[in-house]
Amino acid sequence: MSISTSPAPPRPQVAETTRPARHEPPIIVFQNVSKTYPNGATAIRDVSFTIPPRDFVFVVGASGAGKSTIIRLLIREETATKGHVLVEGQDLARLRRRHLPRLRRKMGIVFQDFKLLPTLTVAQNVAFAIQVTDPGRSHLKEKVGEALYIVGLEDKLNTFPTELSGGEQQRVAIARALVHRPRIFLADEPTGNLDPDAGWGIVQLLLQINHRGATVVMATHNREVVDLCRRRVLAMEGGGLIRDEQEGQYLKDGEANL
Amino acid sequence: MNPIPALRFVVRVALQNIVRNRGIAFASLLTVTLTLLGAGAAVGVVFALDKVLQQEESQASVLKVFMADHISFASALNLEHTLASEPNVQAASFENKDQAAAQASSTLGLGGALHVLETSGGGNPLPASINLHLKNIAAVTAINNQVSTSDLLFPGPHQTDYNKDVIPRVEHYILAAQLGGAILVAVVGAVALVIITISVRTAAFVRRQEIEIMKLVGATDWFVRWPFILEGMILGVISALLASGVLLGVGVAFGSGGSLALGVGVRLAVLISLGLILGGAVLGSFGSLVGIRRSLAT
Repeated sequence: MSISTSPAPPRPQVAETTRPARHEPPIIVFQNVSKTYPNGATAIRDVSFTIPPRDFVFVVGASGAGKSTIIRLLIREETATKGHVLVEGQDLARLRRRHLPRLRRKMGIVFQDFKLLPTLTVAQNVAFAIQVTDPGRSHLKEKVGEALYIVGLEDKLNTFPTELSGGEQQRVAIARALVHRPRIFLADEPTGNLDPDAGWGIVQLLLQINHRGATVVMATHNREVVDLCRRRVLAMEGGGLIRDEQEGQYLKDGEANL
Repeated sequence: MNPIPALRFVVRVALQNIVRNRGIAFASLLTVTLTLLGAGAAVGVVFALDKVLQQEESQASVLKVFMADHISFASALNLEHTLASEPNVQAASFENKDQAAAQASSTLGLGGALHVLETSGGGNPLPASINLHLKNIAAVTAINNQVSTSDLLFPGPHQTDYNKDVIPRVEHYILAAQLGGAILVAVVGAVALVIITISVRTAAFVRRQEIEIMKLVGATDWFVRWPFILEGMILGVISALLASGVLLGVGVAFGSGGSLALGVGVRLAVLISLGLILGGAVLGSFGSLVGIRRSLAT
């Protein structure tokens, strides 16, 4: 697919702060959630929290603390062994398999390893998300162009992922996650493979997405980013939620490095 | 979802998949072609064997009722009509003494001996007969018992002749050919199915990242499946066309007159080709369905 660059709308400012809608029903609810695998390993135990619409939440913790399990439970790649996970009031354990695509179209998801198709160009990678969910959708080129404009890659339409830097590849993944205009944006260690500058650029982008109205949940162990942003922090340790703090930091005051 | 762009996308992805993974596609094309070739050849051989057996059966199902020399022609004709109306009798024909002699000369090479007998005044020793062609080989014994004790000519027993030993042997061959053919086709079909399943599973493994992304962005399971099913179907049909082409080529090369090798007619050849194409499409799509199942499990 070849997409020509359309006249660019003015680039929006990166949001400094976003006000979560605490008066509205929570968009994500974890009620006493535990996840134990068939081999007996417990990934998370008795975790409870709620996330209001338009909140920006960091899930922090060391490797194996249970951060990624929370993301996998939210996209229902895994199901809770105990407790309930609710997204927009829908109990994911009761969600029929055939309704799973509908849930995932409400979400934008990015991972540490980008998950781009190397044989497709940047534009084709972004368009892929539309083509496999709604091939008849009109204005495909415009939607792809808009998503790439938001992430600042409107001049890389016909470039292949292998020709991009890590930060640029993650931006393509974010653009692909944005084309459905998701209400919930999940990021699992999105800065894990990036240098500090590129990582900070990705966080700025996620803040911008949050400012546009999406609820963002970002699992990370990037202390610098968490401390600079001063957003809500859910701290995990050994599968349990040990801290839920508004405008929090990676570590609690006086706490030793995780 | 609009079906036309969806179909266009599925076809495009299926063709892209074949081109991108041409190594695996070629391997599966080759193996499926070979197995379909085996299946087509098996059907042809079973047909040819069945044809030979049918010929044997038709010969073995002839019951000869011999006429004494003093029986009048009218009585013989009456008997012929009566027997022809029997439910198990397909046709009844009268064979006079001269026809019997001609038959013996041509098939048994007894022409010289018969000529010596006739010129020496001994006359034609062969009796006239009514030859009954039966519908079912299994009915020969029953009809024989009925005819040999019949009072239609005069009180029996009447002398009869039929290939008593051949009948069970022919029945045995028919059963063995049908059973063997069915087993062969089933085994070859199962092998083709397994090969396609492995091939699609391998293709799905190669494209696991693509499948994972499709599922993450909200593609339905059927949308993920369709390109693979179509890919299997396309490979199955191409394999069937190749196998049909090879079989027809061999058939024409070794055929004679209006028929192909093994006495297979053009009509049957077309039917076998259509059967292989249908079989290839079904095998390809079903194999793909089984092959992709594991990739959609999570």
